[in-house]
Amino acid sequence: MDLDSDIQMEDAVEQTQPETTGKETSLSQFPINTTDPTTQRNTLDGWIEQLSQCKPLSEDSVKQLCAMAVEVVKGEENVQPVQVPVTICGDIHGQFHDLMELFKIGGPCPDTNYLFMGDYVDRGYYSVETVSYLVAMKVRYPRRITILRGNHESRQITQVYGFYDECFRKYGSANVWKMFTDLFDYFPITALVDNSIFCLHGGLSPMIESIDQVRELNRIQEVPHEGPMCDLLWSDPDDRGGWGISPRGAGFTFGQDISEQFNHTNGLSLIARAHQLVMEGYSWSHQDLVVTIFSAPNYCYRCGNQAAIMEVDENHNRDFLQYDPSVRPGEPTVTRKTPDYFL
Amino acid sequence: MDSTNHETLKPTSEELYPIALLMDELRHDDVASRVQAMRRLDTIAIALGQERTRKELIPFLDDVIPEDEDEVIAVAAEELGKFVPYVGGREHAIILMPVLEKIAACEEPIVRDKAVDSLNSISEELDEAQVLQDFIPLIQRLAKERWFSLHIAATGLFKSVIVKVPSETRLELLNLYHELIQDDSPMVRKAAASHLPRLIDILAKHFKSPENINEFHWDLITSMYESLVNDNQDSVKFLSVDVLIAILEFLSEINETSHNEDLFKSLITLASDPSWRVRYMVADRFEKLVTSFNDAQYTIKLVSNLISLMKDNEAEVRKAIAKQLPGVCKLANTCDRSIVLRSIVPVVSQLSMDESETVRSALASEVTGLAPILGKDATIDHLLPIFVEMLKDDYSEVRLNIISNLQLVNEVIGIQLLSESLLPAITALANDKLWRVRLAIIEQIPLLAEQLGVAFFDEALGQLCMEWLWDPVYSIREAAVINLRSLTKNFGEEWCKEELIKRIETKKQTKDFENFICRITCLFAYTKLIPVVSSDTVVSELYPLIDELKDDHVPNIRFNVAKSLLVLAQKVISINREFVVSKIKPTLELLCSDEDTDVKYFAESSLQSVNVLLGK
Repeated sequence: MDLDSDIQMEDAVEQTQPETTGKETSLSQFPINTTDPTTQRNTLDGWIEQLSQCKPLSEDSVKQLCAMAVEVVKGEENVQPVQVPVTICGDIHGQFHDLMELFKIGGPCPDTNYLFMGDYVDRGYYSVETVSYLVAMKVRYPRRITILRGNHESRQITQVYGFYDECFRKYGSANVWKMFTDLFDYFPITALVDNSIFCLHGGLSPMIESIDQVRELNRIQEVPHEGPMCDLLWSDPDDRGGWGISPRGAGFTFGQDISEQFNHTNGLSLIARAHQLVMEGYSWSHQDLVVTIFSAPNYCYRCGNQAAIMEVDENHNRDFLQYDPSVRPGEPTVTRKTPDYFL
Repeated sequence: MDSTNHETLKPTSEELYPIALLMDELRHDDVASRVQAMRRLDTIAIALGQERTRKELIPFLDDVIPEDEDEVIAVAAEELGKFVPYVGGREHAIILMPVLEKIAACEEPIVRDKAVDSLNSISEELDEAQVLQDFIPLIQRLAKERWFSLHIAATGLFKSVIVKVPSETRLELLNLYHELIQDDSPMVRKAAASHLPRLIDILAKHFKSPENINEFHWDLITSMYESLVNDNQDSVKFLSVDVLIAILEFLSEINETSHNEDLFKSLITLASDPSWRVRYMVADRFEKLVTSFNDAQYTIKLVSNLISLMKDNEAEVRKAIAKQLPGVCKLANTCDRSIVLRSIVPVVSQLSMDESETVRSALASEVTGLAPILGKDATIDHLLPIFVEMLKDDYSEVRLNIISNLQLVNEVIGIQLLSESLLPAITALANDKLWRVRLAIIEQIPLLAEQLGVAFFDEALGQLCMEWLWDPVYSIREAAVINLRSLTKNFGEEWCKEELIKRIETKKQTKDFENFICRITCLFAYTKLIPVVSSDTVVSELYPLIDELKDDHVPNIRFNVAKSLLVLAQKVISINREFVVSKIKPTLELLCSDEDTDVKYFAESSLQSVNVLLGK
């Protein structure tokens, strides 16, 4: 697996729970717009239109959006069942224009069904627009798009890797950051595509042997510092067998023997996960039992990697589509090749 | 957090916000809060009134600002530029200058520039006496201090007052500027050099008539230019190119040509400067320079410089000059009809094989612009071979840039010739690895089709157009569908049945049709064809497949059937109302009770529209 040494791997941040400002502002208690469904759909379509031009929503709209989204995602399961055909995507990391490129490659939602495996925010310049867009799509077409939680959908990580600062810069306060991070608690943590492909952000956990054990977790909380829920969002596959200590400081590394056992026990054909930069956009490990998918091309605007998505059709045929960064004028682009005068 | 929340929710109550609290916010521990408070400085000033603003707020700012963080100071500097009305108008405007002067001394360029901008906008409000009494001494103080950042601030202040002051003061100011142009610090010289073109423009605008031309102070200006051209720092020297352009524009305005020879010589020196940055600047402004001389003999002479820049050993320079080619060639062509072909085109040919891909890419985006200049025959003989070679370039951006600009060539030599010579290259690119190249090719197809005629088209490109429908990338499939629709418009319904519908029906028999992407693409294709074929064809050829897909097990297909049926109804309603009532409406009603919410939603909304159609 290619790991770019240039981009520091994030470490789990020390457990310093930010002070929650009173229970009374908890999201689920915001008055939900009980206007009729048509109005709500029109509002959502308007937001999606605005967001697709990379223009962030107003703070009030975000508040409404998050309240609606809580209602949608809290009813989903820890292991959310997903039907084929579906297109499975990895990390996005605030690279909004590359997300739009992704839809140009894979087809627009709702015509194409999508499953995103987390890490929508941090690192890129447009975390707010990216996560607002995906959440708006989720609320508008709950059956057509599934959004899982990644290790960056967390209060602690976002305070270090950019989402918090971006919210503060774009809205002048941390309110929007709080609304989204409160919403992230409700995101499902894994998905099961047609009882055959197990999808999650990170990897396996020594405390989880069967998918049913995932179903029993209480997921509605900040991503914990350790334990099964943490591992699912943080672990990585490894060439060494068995369980290993993760250099990330959270989750574990797991070997081929672990994947074989897990897939066998649960009758799976494949584990699809994201979480790691891979130069070709996707990468097989453990003799095709595990695939890593990464959907942020030229990660952090300088890694030079390709991105990929995986189309799974109704007959379980898998197709990988690779793509390069979108063309965007007026933004810091880094020529991959060093200009001659540095040589 | 609660209090900020309160404010953002009720911006209208801002005026009533207790002023003391806002003043407190200016002293807040948190930088972000101070920035926010500073942005509302005008609110505070309005609330305080003019007198208290002068007597309390300004001294307060004078006190706290220089100690603060750069972010806060930058906002303050910006806000103060709009403050003249809040302190009581022109007569009190100068009260703002001391604090801005302090900010202008800041070493952080962003902060300094904001302060300079604000000082400039305040100077607009001042009358002549105030300028002489307060503003000029301010410039002089800044320029005479022994610290480089003050000198830099000073360079930005001349432009707003230079024409406002009496003649003798202007001379003093220009002498002072001359000193800054020769400052010890390269950063100051750089700042002075970058403001000089604007200063020259202002002087040129006001003092171009024979009676006041002395006020332009030609000797001083040229001496400044000379000094820049001979600067030992290339980061200063390269700015002299813009100064030269400004001077040339002034001279051409007053129809003065006696200095051109000297200026031309200095340009030649710059164009062959040992530092690539200087040569880059000449290359980047080449067309502008040629235009500014506005003289055929110099245009012809400059062609040899153009050529040496095209052969420069620095890729950035070659890239910059490649971008200038069409403009410069056009100018050269008006002086000598043969020079482009004789002297420039051979070097273009070399440049098209440049070792640097960014140079080739830059050339590719411009080189087609030479076709209109050369005319039909020369384009065919000399440019087409270059295009064909560049279409085979390893670097995809080069290919893409050529394809996207073929339109220009088409206008010159006609599509027939273009397609004959480029068709092999185009078909080779139809399967290019980069989807944007494929897309660019598809976008050229309707144009090709129109010119080639059905027979030739089918033979050469027909198969290709169908293959794009099954491309792995959605955008290509979408473009392919739109392309097939324009082809149908062009070639007519029979062609559509024979070449298109038949092929899709064949596809239906293959295993590919088991894939949802294949089915939905067929559906999209048929839906897009509905408006451009006759109602009979819609009912007999297109409807059966659409109808069949209503039972598809993939919901995405079913709701697209619902959308498609509305388009179908809109097409046939006027001549076949019965079809809508007996076929379309029942299907939509069936889909309204689908188990999938999205199918239901799209079926309901189509049904609603169909009912409206029927109601008419």
